[in-house]
Amino acid sequence: MRRSLFIALAATAVSCLGGIGAKADPFKCPHVGGDFVFGQEANINTLDQMTSSTISTRNIAMNIYESLMTRDENNHPILELAASMDEAPDHLTYTFKLRQGIHFHNGKLMTSADVVASFDRYAKVGNQRSTLDNVDRWEAPDAQTFVIHMKRVQPTFIDALSSFSVPIVIIPSENRDVPAQQLTKPIGTGPYQLVEAIPGSAVKLKRYDGYKPNETFQQRTGFGGYKQACFDTVTFRIVTEPGARVAGLQTGELQGVEDVPAKSVPDLKNDKKITILPLKNWWIQIANPNTSFPPTDNLLVRKAIQAALDMDEIMDAASDGNYQLNVGFQYPNQPDYTDAGKATYNIHDPALAKKYLAEANYQGEPVILLTNKDYPPMYNSALVMQQQLQAVGINAQMKVVDWPTSVQMMLNTTEGWNFHFTGWGTQPALGALATMQFLVQPNATYKPKDGKDDPDVLAAWNDMNTLPTPEGRQEAFARMQKLVLERVYAVPFGSFTKVQAVRSNVQGFVPFRIPRMANVWFAQ
Amino acid sequence: MGSIIAQRLIGSIPILVIVSLITFAMIHLIPGDPATAIAGLSATSEQISNIRHDLGLDQPLLAQLGHWYLNLARGDLGRSLLLGQPVLEATMQRLPITLALSAYALALTLLLGLGSGIIAALKQNTFIDQCAMMFAMLGISLPNFYLGLLMIVVFAVHLGWLPTGGYVPLTEDPIGWLATSTMPAISLALLLTGLLARITRSTMLEVLRQDYIRTARAKGLSERKVVTKHALANALIPITTVIGIVISLLISGSVVTESLFSIPGIGQLLTQAVLNRDYPMVQGGLMITTTLLVLVNIGVDVCYALLDPRVRY
Amino acid sequence: MRRYRFRHSVLWRLLHHRLFVLGAILFGIIVIAAALAPLIAPLDPNKLSMRNKFQPPSWNYLFGTDNFGRSLWSRVIWGAQLSMFIGSAVVLINAVAGTAIGAAAGYFRRLDNMVMRINDALMAFPAVLLAIAVTAVLGPSVSDVIIALSIVYTPRTARIVRSSVVVLREMEYVQAARAAGAGDWRILSRHVLPNAMAPLLVQLSFLFAYAVLTEATLSFLGVGAVPPTPTWGNIMAEGRQYMTDAPWIITIPGAALMITVLGLNLLGDGLRDVLDPRLRIQQ
Repeated sequence: MRRSLFIALAATAVSCLGGIGAKADPFKCPHVGGDFVFGQEANINTLDQMTSSTISTRNIAMNIYESLMTRDENNHPILELAASMDEAPDHLTYTFKLRQGIHFHNGKLMTSADVVASFDRYAKVGNQRSTLDNVDRWEAPDAQTFVIHMKRVQPTFIDALSSFSVPIVIIPSENRDVPAQQLTKPIGTGPYQLVEAIPGSAVKLKRYDGYKPNETFQQRTGFGGYKQACFDTVTFRIVTEPGARVAGLQTGELQGVEDVPAKSVPDLKNDKKITILPLKNWWIQIANPNTSFPPTDNLLVRKAIQAALDMDEIMDAASDGNYQLNVGFQYPNQPDYTDAGKATYNIHDPALAKKYLAEANYQGEPVILLTNKDYPPMYNSALVMQQQLQAVGINAQMKVVDWPTSVQMMLNTTEGWNFHFTGWGTQPALGALATMQFLVQPNATYKPKDGKDDPDVLAAWNDMNTLPTPEGRQEAFARMQKLVLERVYAVPFGSFTKVQAVRSNVQGFVPFRIPRMANVWFAQ
Repeated sequence: MGSIIAQRLIGSIPILVIVSLITFAMIHLIPGDPATAIAGLSATSEQISNIRHDLGLDQPLLAQLGHWYLNLARGDLGRSLLLGQPVLEATMQRLPITLALSAYALALTLLLGLGSGIIAALKQNTFIDQCAMMFAMLGISLPNFYLGLLMIVVFAVHLGWLPTGGYVPLTEDPIGWLATSTMPAISLALLLTGLLARITRSTMLEVLRQDYIRTARAKGLSERKVVTKHALANALIPITTVIGIVISLLISGSVVTESLFSIPGIGQLLTQAVLNRDYPMVQGGLMITTTLLVLVNIGVDVCYALLDPRVRY
Repeated sequence: MRRYRFRHSVLWRLLHHRLFVLGAILFGIIVIAAALAPLIAPLDPNKLSMRNKFQPPSWNYLFGTDNFGRSLWSRVIWGAQLSMFIGSAVVLINAVAGTAIGAAAGYFRRLDNMVMRINDALMAFPAVLLAIAVTAVLGPSVSDVIIALSIVYTPRTARIVRSSVVVLREMEYVQAARAAGAGDWRILSRHVLPNAMAPLLVQLSFLFAYAVLTEATLSFLGVGAVPPTPTWGNIMAEGRQYMTDAPWIITIPGAALMITVLGLNLLGDGLRDVLDPRLRIQQ
């Protein structure tokens, strides 16, 4: 099936399914007005979306900006600022026709010149400019058309183009040469526009009255769809203390918060004025082994460790009870999900572990768990894992540093640590491809010996990238996941549920990778 | 007088230069770099190295030091990597908050510390004296974050009289400011009150022993006049030298207090900057704070010189 | 003859100084508990027991348990050992380094200016911030915390020693010794330093208190000795989020910290009362 047709059909299907009741009318704000104050947990250092990969920036910027293509509620690529996308039969050319009558926040009409400028800037300063590595050039034959020419065929290009990790947002062509991180006055095409940003304190947005919603859809979906700004203003307030966020929500000072600590949830559940909104599958809690450093360079030792773990106990401590057990690197609600390799998950068999240790001739060498104090789930899971390993006779020791140091050690050293604790959030949400890149060189998280990929894993990865059919690529992913789990190149513990909350009079807020301010309103 | 101030100012320049070198060296010796902190949790290594390159962090150290000094000479303290804001602006935003809190704490300290010290000295060796000194002793022994935690549990959680944290600016809502600043100010003031009470008492005792006090009393002056005009006036002189130490301790104490009560002041700013390897912020912020401290110390010395007629330069 | 009576009278005065004795008792309790840790706290302070989490103090668990079910009694006692170790190490390093630097600066005029400049520069940093920065550089192990605290507090000790030495340098008996041909080292060790000891000793006892307190503060802020090592500051930091449900996790280590610091302060006071010549003449 040709790509463009597939996307158009998918879009229509989603928009039909997304309709409330049997009506096919697009979304209309039941009530317009009010100032929504949202408590965000982390500071932002820039609103220049192209040069930032942080969640805190994306939370705000993706209410201001839009891109050619994005993802829907179930992670499928959909069109946003493009009206149609046409893939040539040789797969080396992509032609986008832009939607008509879209204006930027400064009133300027969006044309293909702006798209060209945006891509130009992204290629120069974009944080993930490698997305465009296989692109030869782009051009704008006329004001409504934008064409991308590829150097070679990349079946996964549309996936990459629609990624929301560091999206290629469309900016006015005047901003083309602004240096990295310096775009402090973001001008986009989204339903809200920037009023002011007070660093370290708050960012205020207001409704953009000239916004043109995407009529291919009826409802908001994922990052795109039919969006309407119902609030007059939205204030993102930076409240780093969890206790302060909960208190603010209870007094009504904050009408929504990005994160509620697990231990406050029971209290808030009883409060009639507050609605708890758990967001499942926020990130995968994971520990990555170092296969260049003994004793984890020995597969049998790794298998012993894998056999000893009780994932329920680990995830319970890591998330204070807010978790799901999860096999593999995708979540059940995603199209790419596969349970290949599930025999290796949550084995919880100390006898088996001891058997592997004996086979490996384990002599009590220390197994160093590198974790950090900045993210309690990583610290807690390491603590419990240490206990479980010691129970089967493994000399597990903790090395607790802070987050930047642990990342640096993981990236730059192959000695002095055996497991690195982290969380994979954005990548699994983007799909299998984005996630499995962590398991191939350069910078494979399992630190392969002599820097050489495991050939079977590498073969599966190449298939994931180059096989022409989606089914072929999915089979390659299942194969890769099974290999990784069986050879213990990664130890995923489970998925973490993020709990968000709003005041009960706030309707239409559905937690997602970012807090979407469109199609949310105050009930009267 | 002017030449003395000028002399002291010039004398403090080598100190500030050494401070700047120590700061630069230290922050760059910390393992890990700001690119990781900025890139966030799920960042790929490509994203991290792109950020590192964009921020000029992969340049040789000496080049970075040179850049910093050049900018410093122009009065440009750089841009915070984490906040995206000029360092000077970020510091000037937070400084008044810490200063307001410190002023509140200082007022409490002076009132309670001086007051109890004077009374204890006047009523030496009585029950009141021993009580006051016991409280002072407790004051310097109780860790300020412990007191803060206890106060939060009692006054905020159980009694609900005061908020658990956060900050309301004085200019916005004085009552709110008072509510959010009282517990932090008390936990800050505790240590200093104890110190000041003890020093005041011993200084007063020292002064009261002097001959001129006996003379004043013999002359028939009212006890009140003796205490205020002669004893207190003279006792205040050495006490002013303590003020310098008090202010340094206030800034030190504010690091913990601001963290505990979620107050967006200088202490918080600098701690977060160090932990996140926000090089420009740490370098600039520490330069500003140490410069202020040095200036305050010079000011205290000048005050002392003005107050004490015996001191001649 | 005279020397024997001098020592006898100082010790006698210390033991009869009420507050000194009280301080000694308080501090002594902590020291003894720390020393006897293996005997009185046999339960591994790091042993997790998720089933037993958040137990309030009872006969089974004297101080209760924390969020991982670890025995708070064990953690606090072992924390005492750690605090005593850190405090002693910092005091020792200070005594040696601070005296050496201060004496050199005070006695040899050529060194004075330069050494004191560096000293002042170090003292210009707010203590806690400097400690945070140094621990960040060196890493969060116990030995690195000790080094960090030594770097922060040695300038203060050096300054005190220098002040005494500067005054003593001009004393008549020192002039006399120099006139008699005694070398610098002999003068320093025989005449100057012994008389500079008194203020130093008083300072050292307060220094122990500062070291323990600052270490707890560092741990509380999350930059001190690495968890799960049980320092009092770490225990309080981890217990902070459970303040409302399990307040004992904070109150008990905090009380232990307070007793230690109070005891040391009383000791220091007593020492100053007894050793300070001015007050001795008074009585």
